[in-house]
Amino acid sequence: METILEDNMYVVDLGSVDTASEVIFELSSILDNNEVRNRKIYLKLGSVDLNQAQLLSIKSLISGIESSLSCIDTKSVETEKVALSLGIIVANVSSENVIEVTPEMPYKTAEELKETLKEEDNLPVLSKDKEDESFDIIEEPEELSDDVLKRQETENIETSNSDTEEQQIIQAEDKEIQSAEKEEEKTTEEIKEEINGFSSDKKDEVRDELDVIFGSNPAKSSIFEMAVPEEVYEEREALDDIVVPEQEYTKEDIELETFPTKYIKQTIRSGQVINYEGNIVIIGDCHPGSEIKAFGDITVWGILSGIAHAGAGGNMKARVRALKMNAIQLRIANCYSRRPDSLNTVFVEKTNSFTPEEARIINNEIVVFKIND
Amino acid sequence: MAGRVIVITSGKGGVGKTTTSANIGSALAKNGHSVVLIDTDIGLRNLDLLLGLENRIVYTLVDVVEERCKLKQALVKDKRNPNLCLLAAAQTRDKSSVSAEQLKKITEKLKKDFDYILVDCPAGIEQGFQTAIAGASEAIVVTTPEMSAVRDADRIIGLLEAADGIESYKLLINRVRPNMIKSNDMMSVDDVVNILSCQPIGVIPEDTGIITSTNRGEPIINNEKSLAGKAFMNVARRINGEEVPFLDIDEPKDIIGKLKKFLSGLKKKGKE
Repeated sequence: METILEDNMYVVDLGSVDTASEVIFELSSILDNNEVRNRKIYLKLGSVDLNQAQLLSIKSLISGIESSLSCIDTKSVETEKVALSLGIIVANVSSENVIEVTPEMPYKTAEELKETLKEEDNLPVLSKDKEDESFDIIEEPEELSDDVLKRQETENIETSNSDTEEQQIIQAEDKEIQSAEKEEEKTTEEIKEEINGFSSDKKDEVRDELDVIFGSNPAKSSIFEMAVPEEVYEEREALDDIVVPEQEYTKEDIELETFPTKYIKQTIRSGQVINYEGNIVIIGDCHPGSEIKAFGDITVWGILSGIAHAGAGGNMKARVRALKMNAIQLRIANCYSRRPDSLNTVFVEKTNSFTPEEARIINNEIVVFKIND
Repeated sequence: MAGRVIVITSGKGGVGKTTTSANIGSALAKNGHSVVLIDTDIGLRNLDLLLGLENRIVYTLVDVVEERCKLKQALVKDKRNPNLCLLAAAQTRDKSSVSAEQLKKITEKLKKDFDYILVDCPAGIEQGFQTAIAGASEAIVVTTPEMSAVRDADRIIGLLEAADGIESYKLLINRVRPNMIKSNDMMSVDDVVNILSCQPIGVIPEDTGIITSTNRGEPIINNEKSLAGKAFMNVARRINGEEVPFLDIDEPKDIIGKLKKFLSGLKKKGKE
C-alpha cells in the first residue's frame, strides 16, 4: 500500500478505499509504523469524498507522529475543494503516466479523428461532401460568367460604351489571378453601374443572373473568393493542429534515428515472426497470421495484413507505414488497436494504385493517416 | 538421370492431397514415366484405396524403415500401369514410426530407379509434415478457393521456404467451381494466386466423378470424359515440362471456359 520516495517523502496509497471512516482507519494503522515518523506524507486518495472535519482529523493524525501532510492526490472534486480551503497542496499525478490499453479500440483513420475533434472543439471542419460540392460550384460560375460578360459586351456595344469595357475585360483575362481578382471586382461593380442605366426589364434579368452566379450580394463576393472557400483552409489548419505537437524533436526521435535497420526483401507469410531491436523495412506483403515486432519504425512496401508492433521498447513516436494498411492489429509502444470492422474484407485486391498509409500515436490512440501529398 | 522428388502437401485436411497424388502419379505413369508414390500418412492411409491396391499390400513404409523387408519388396505395382508403384503407409502405427532422415534415405534410393517420386504428405505441420518434406526438392501446395485452406497454404509455403531441401513450390487449386466464381460466391483463381503470391501449376474443377472414382479405386484420369481428369493430365504434363510451360495459367482458364460453356450448354438443353 505504501512506498518510500526520495526527499523524505512517504507515499500512502489509499486509492482503493471507498469510505471516509475506512480511510481514517487504514491511515491510523499505517501511521502506527515507526517508519512513518518525521516524514513528509504524500496521501493518495481515490474517489472518496471527505469533509472539512475528516480532513482536519487526518491532518492532526499525521502531525501527531511528528510528520507533515505535504500533499494529497484525489479524484473527488469535493475533497479537492476542501483540501484547497485548508491550504493542503493537491497534486494531479493520476492523470500522468497512465495509459489505458483498450483492446476493443479499432484504429482510427485521420478523418475519424477529425470528426471527433470537430465534435469536441467545434472546429469548423468541412465534411468531404461539402468540400466536393464547393469545388463543383467553382467551375460553373467561371463558364457562366464568361457568357454573361459577353452578353454585357454586346449590350455595351448597343449603348456605345463598348471600347473601354472590352479592353478592361481582355486585360482581366490576360493578367494573373491576383490582379485579375481586383479587375473582376471592378468589372462586376461597373456592370452593376451599367445595370442601373438599363431599362427595368433587362436590369432585373441581368441581376437575377448575377445573383445566381455570385450569390445574393454580387458586389461583395468575387469569383475568386468563391473558388477557394475559406473553410478549406481552416480544415487544413485543423489538420495541422493535430500534427504539430507530434513533430517536436525529442529523445525518442533521436532514438529512432540511431536505431539500426533490418532490410527484408520477401513475403512474410502466416506463422512467420520477425523480431528486431531497431527499425524494420519489408519489401513485400505481410500476410495474415504473421507478426512483426520492432523497437523502432516498421515500414512495409506492400500490403500489411498481419500484426505489427512498432516501438516495442516503449518508443511512443514509432510509426507503422504500409502501402495498404490492413493489419489485424496495430501496436505502437503500449497502445494497441484492432482492425475496424468496416475494413474486415476477406482479402485485399492488389491494384496498381495504393495510397500509402501511416499509423502513429495521437493522444494515446493509434491513428492511421493516408499519405496523399 | 536422378528422379525428381515432389511432395504434395496442403496444411489443411480434405483439400485433395491424396486424390492429387494418385491422379498425378497415374497420369505421369500413363505418359510413360516410372513413378513411385509414397504415402506418409501413417495410421490414416488412403492412397492405396484411391488406387485400388489395398488388397495387395504386404509390406509398408514402416517395415522398410525397420528393415523387416527390402525396399523393392515393399513397392506395390499398380494393376493398370506397370510404370506406377506404391509404397504404402502402415495403418497400425503412427507418424513417429518414421523419421525425416529415414525417409530421406528411402527417397535417395528410389531416385536412382524412378523418374518421379511423389510423396503424399499428411495434413498438419507437425512431425508428419516435417518427415514428408525431408527428402523432397520440389513441392506442390494443394489448396481450395476457401479462406481457411488459403490461410493454411500460406503457412505451409512459409514453412517450405524455410525448409532446406525445397527448391521450388507450385500451387494447385482444387475444387474450383466456375459458376460460383461467376456469381462472386467463390474466390477466383487469380484471387488465390494473388493472395499467396505463388505460381499455379494447375486448376482442378470440382467434379462429382472424383467421389465415384475414389470409391471404385480408379483414378479419375482414366475417365476421359471427366474434366477433372483432363485437368490432372495437364498438371502432369506441366510437371514434366513438356506440353505446357511452367507458370502458365492460361490453360486452366481455358478449362474453366470450356466448363462454363459445357454448363451453359447443359442449361440450354434443359430449357429446350
